[in-house]
Amino acid sequence: MTATQDIYPQTPTLDQDIQQLAQSWRHPRGIFGWLSYTTHQAIGMRYIVTAFVMLLAGGAEALMMRTQLMHSNNGYLGPERYNQIFTTHGTTMMFLFAVPMMEGMAIYLIPLMCGTRNVAFPRLNAFGYWMYLFGVLFLYWGVFTNAAPDVGWFAYPPLSGPQYTPGKSTDYWAQMITFTEVSALCVAAELIATILKMRAPGMSLNRMPLYVWSILTQSWMIIFAMPAIVLASSYLLSDRTVATQFVNPAEGGDPLLYQHIFWFFGHPEVYIIFIPALGFVSSIVVAHAQRELIGYTAMVLAQIANGFIAFGLWVHHMFATDLPQIGEAYFTASSMMIAITSGVQIFCWIATLWSGKPRLTTALLFVYGFIAIFVLGGLTGVILASVPLDLQVHDTFFVVAHFHYVLIGGAVFPLFGAFYHWFPKFTGRMMNERLGRINFWVLFAGFNLTFFPMHILGLKGMPRRIYTYSPEMGWDQLNLLATIGAYIIAFGGLLFLVNLFWSRKFGAIAGNNPWNADSLEWAAASPAPNYNFEYLPAVTSRYPLWVPAEERTFVTGTRTDRREVLVTTLMDAQPHHRYILPRPSIWPLIAAICVTVGFAGSVFNGWYITWGTIISALALIGWFWPKRPLDPAHD
Amino acid sequence: MTNVRTLDVSHLKPYEISTQAPLWWGQFMFVFIEGTMFCILIGAYFYVRLRMDVWPPPGDQFPHKLLPSLALIPLILSCVGTYWAGEAARRDSRSGMIGGMALNLVLAGIALWMRIVEWHSLNFNWMTDAQGSYVWAFLGLHTFDYIGDLVFTGVLLLLVLIGRYGPKQRLGVYVDSIVWYFLVAIWIPIYIVIYWGPVLVETQQ
Repeated sequence: MTATQDIYPQTPTLDQDIQQLAQSWRHPRGIFGWLSYTTHQAIGMRYIVTAFVMLLAGGAEALMMRTQLMHSNNGYLGPERYNQIFTTHGTTMMFLFAVPMMEGMAIYLIPLMCGTRNVAFPRLNAFGYWMYLFGVLFLYWGVFTNAAPDVGWFAYPPLSGPQYTPGKSTDYWAQMITFTEVSALCVAAELIATILKMRAPGMSLNRMPLYVWSILTQSWMIIFAMPAIVLASSYLLSDRTVATQFVNPAEGGDPLLYQHIFWFFGHPEVYIIFIPALGFVSSIVVAHAQRELIGYTAMVLAQIANGFIAFGLWVHHMFATDLPQIGEAYFTASSMMIAITSGVQIFCWIATLWSGKPRLTTALLFVYGFIAIFVLGGLTGVILASVPLDLQVHDTFFVVAHFHYVLIGGAVFPLFGAFYHWFPKFTGRMMNERLGRINFWVLFAGFNLTFFPMHILGLKGMPRRIYTYSPEMGWDQLNLLATIGAYIIAFGGLLFLVNLFWSRKFGAIAGNNPWNADSLEWAAASPAPNYNFEYLPAVTSRYPLWVPAEERTFVTGTRTDRREVLVTTLMDAQPHHRYILPRPSIWPLIAAICVTVGFAGSVFNGWYITWGTIISALALIGWFWPKRPLDPAHD
Repeated sequence: MTNVRTLDVSHLKPYEISTQAPLWWGQFMFVFIEGTMFCILIGAYFYVRLRMDVWPPPGDQFPHKLLPSLALIPLILSCVGTYWAGEAARRDSRSGMIGGMALNLVLAGIALWMRIVEWHSLNFNWMTDAQGSYVWAFLGLHTFDYIGDLVFTGVLLLLVLIGRYGPKQRLGVYVDSIVWYFLVAIWIPIYIVIYWGPVLVETQQ
């Protein structure tokens, strides 16, 4: 506290040229210019829009499945088509919607919340987006050419191996994973660097908003989890295309090892999706309860502990395989431990809401919905952590119910809350609250109607991944309920879209800080200009916008004639040096195209890896080739 | 406006060549990613290896140890060149950067040549069996990164030689060094796994 106050000079001079600032941060014109954008608002919004389209695609696939299961002996989808649809649904929702959506929100919000002008590596950010987009196009090109993957979103060998699934569909799937992991790793690296080195002066680690903590945790999890899926998908792809023997038991390979490596990634993946959502909840709770968060330190520690424990419980996805009993006991215990860290957070939010003055906005309604649904999903999680119960309901609809409760309840409800909360910052206009409330209740009712009956169906023995069932099983009524619920969710989604487009045009003008929220993004104009802040803020509190206006401090002395930001020290965020961010560039797109040629081509012919590597290396050299002026001290 | 509290930063340097630079953190993360991948691959190798009675599988000859062991000498010494270049980049010494990077490239090239000679003498490939797949994956992935780093060191050397460099490129020379240290450091456990792994771990009965 004292250290940061020492650095405030006594005689202020505000001499920055705002017009020059806007000029330096202006987007390049034309279609070529549009492809060269590197601002975090533009890239973040591209992620959000693309991921939202993927949510609609995944939702359409879910509706097709529910329509097929509406009643027994339905002939709407055949077994092959049904396999393709559930695989594409799972793959789309996990890899192409959930993770990129959380990344897009973080790319948009983190530089604003940290009080800087862009992410640390803006061109890498653009490259990551293009890789994601090409991954989307690659998978859906397969889907639309009748080569949709059909071996489940985890593609276990030997079913997914070259003997049992010939053709290209699984290759498309495995290589799509490569695209998304490159993208996710780019985003994780740049967000960690942004959070650690570019926070506003005075925003020491213990003053970081919980959302920033959640993204820091999530990004480190990506760094440690994604390499595992790199290996798993490469095992599969190279076994299929160049005849390696990684998962072929006949030559000493091991299919079970694939499951271990896949879930060493796959379980943290769920937390990669859900930890940012916890950050949304913290932001919404603080802003809408108008009160400082209770148990900040406990929340931060619980979130980081979540991140660690997530790497120690992957085997609970594999209880039905032949494992030593000591292993099962260990993984049961570690799976149950998650209930402790999640419980700490739930209690802190409830305490904050209880002692605050909550305004029942749509955003907060979604948080209430999150708490209700997520706690229920957590409870079935504790049930599934126990080996005998898990074996009983393994591969039944009980599991489907459980993970939709934790994933939709734990991630999608907070995400909708976040849309309602941050829409004013994205667009400058408020979303319609009345329609928002209806939107919430329709989604909440539809969700429970769809997924609650699945618990009972699972207990009655209905297995997952079956395309139909016979009438004497007695599953008809509950399935019909679930299907009706699915259409109600779809209607809720439609209401959201209507609200989105209506509010974008006719919503009330928001102003900088419509919720009287506490964190720095609300100090910027709405929508946030490319440079975010006219003067970079310095902070003296964990809730910087709740300190009296006359006590706020601004940074002067960064140059406005180029894209300059401030680098601060890691722990205490003391100003350290100035840092010039690169200008817009087409090179990230060129590099992404070159890498795509290598990745996509290698599915058909191994030599594409060689040629793709060479042209990618040339593109990277072009990207990094120095442009004049070379020395920032002398221009 | 006179009541506004401000913090003037105009006296701060417009760049920095040290561990405070965001780019250093970016490279550091790259090292974490690669390191995690190699660690999982080593774990997977032992998972497969400990489930086999005979290792390497019949027909695969033991890799020779002499040449790869000797190759460690130029490889480890190449870090001296990297260190020299990195420190020279901080001081803005052009001759130091050129000397350091050239030394690094020469020694790393010798180590690479020795590795490839030994690689050629293997009597199995990635298709033969699981041990073949793993050995080729270790060699292939590490050599891919290795050559990639040599290419970019070569480009940086070229930029310094033609004088087309400023603080940004000097920072590049500096952060390039942590990737090289990593590639050398991770090679040592990989070397042990590939060339000594079949001998060190007793075959289970």
